[in-house]
Amino acid sequence: MEIKDFIDNFASNFDETDTDSFTPETKFRDLDEWTSMLALATMAMVSEEYDVELTAEEMRNAQTIEDLFNTTKSHL
Amino acid sequence: MDNLLSLQGKHILVTGASSGMGKVFAQMAAAQGARVSLLARNEERLKVTLESLEGEGHDFCTCDLTEDDQLTDIVNKIDQLDGIVLCAGINDFVPVKFIKQEKISKMFQTNYFSQLILVQKLLKKKLINKGASIVFISSISSMLGVQGTLLYASSKGAINSAVRVLASELANQRIRVNAICPGIVKTEMLSGTNVDEDVFTKQEALYPLGLGTPKDVGGAVLFHLSDASRWLTGQCMIMDGGFTLN
Repeated sequence: MEIKDFIDNFASNFDETDTDSFTPETKFRDLDEWTSMLALATMAMVSEEYDVELTAEEMRNAQTIEDLFNTTKSHL
Repeated sequence: MDNLLSLQGKHILVTGASSGMGKVFAQMAAAQGARVSLLARNEERLKVTLESLEGEGHDFCTCDLTEDDQLTDIVNKIDQLDGIVLCAGINDFVPVKFIKQEKISKMFQTNYFSQLILVQKLLKKKLINKGASIVFISSISSMLGVQGTLLYASSKGAINSAVRVLASELANQRIRVNAICPGIVKTEMLSGTNVDEDVFTKQEALYPLGLGTPKDVGGAVLFHLSDASRWLTGQCMIMDGGFTLN
C-alpha cells in the first residue's frame, strides 16, 4: 500500500478541488469541497480499494490524508 | 367504556426485538396485556428482552429473517397472531457512486424481502387472525432525499408501497396493514452506523419536538395494534416531532 496511490484514490472523490496539490500533509477538513458526503465517499473508497471498514470515530479523528492512510494501513 | 388501547388477550409478534425500537415495543405491548413473541438473531439479547416483559406467556425464537428455511421453521412453531410489528432493519449510508449489487441486495434482503416473506408465510398458514393489525416500521427517509440514504430510503419506500397493496388484499379478512415513518430516533442502530453521531445530534435543532425516542414511536405502535385503530388501514404515518414542518 503506497501513500501516492492512496492520495490518488482519495482525490478521485473530489470534483471541484485542484487535487494536484494534495500531499500527505493536506488537511482535508479545511478544503471548501469537504462535506459529510465526502466523508462517506472516502469511507466507501477505503472499503472498496483496501477492504477496510473505517469507523465514524476513525474518520473523525483523521485530520490529514496521511492520518487516514495510517489508520487504513493499521487494519491491513 | 372499554379500554380501546388495551392489548389484553392479543398475541403480538415483534421482529428485531432484541434491541432498539423492537425491544421497547415488545415491552410496551406486554405492559398493555399482550402475549408477546420475540424474533431476532441474538439469543442472549432476546433472553434479556424476554425477562424484561411484564406478564406471562411470552416467548422468543432466534431467527435470521434473511434465511428462508429459518423463516419456515418459525412459521411452523408460532401460533395464531393478532398483531405483527416488523422492526428488523439495517442502515448503511452509501453515496450513489459506491453502490453495488451486493449492497442493494443486503439492504433489501433485511429491510424488505424477508419482512414480506414472513408475512406471506404467516398468511398462507392462516396464522394471522381476523381483525389483526400488521405494523411496518418504515422511515421518514422514504419520503425525503437525504444524501447517502439511497439504499435505506428506497427499501423503506418499497415498504410504503407494499403496505397499501397488502391493506387492500387483506381488508376482506379485516386484517389491517399500516406503516409508521419515524424521523430520527435515538437507538443503537443510529450509533452503529458509519455516520458520525454528531451529524444526528446536530439535526436535533431541526426537530421542533426534539429527536424521538423508541417510546415515542411505541405509543403509535400500541395505537396501531389496538382496536382503537380498527378503521385505519393502508396508511403510512409520519411521526417526526415536527421535522417536516420546516
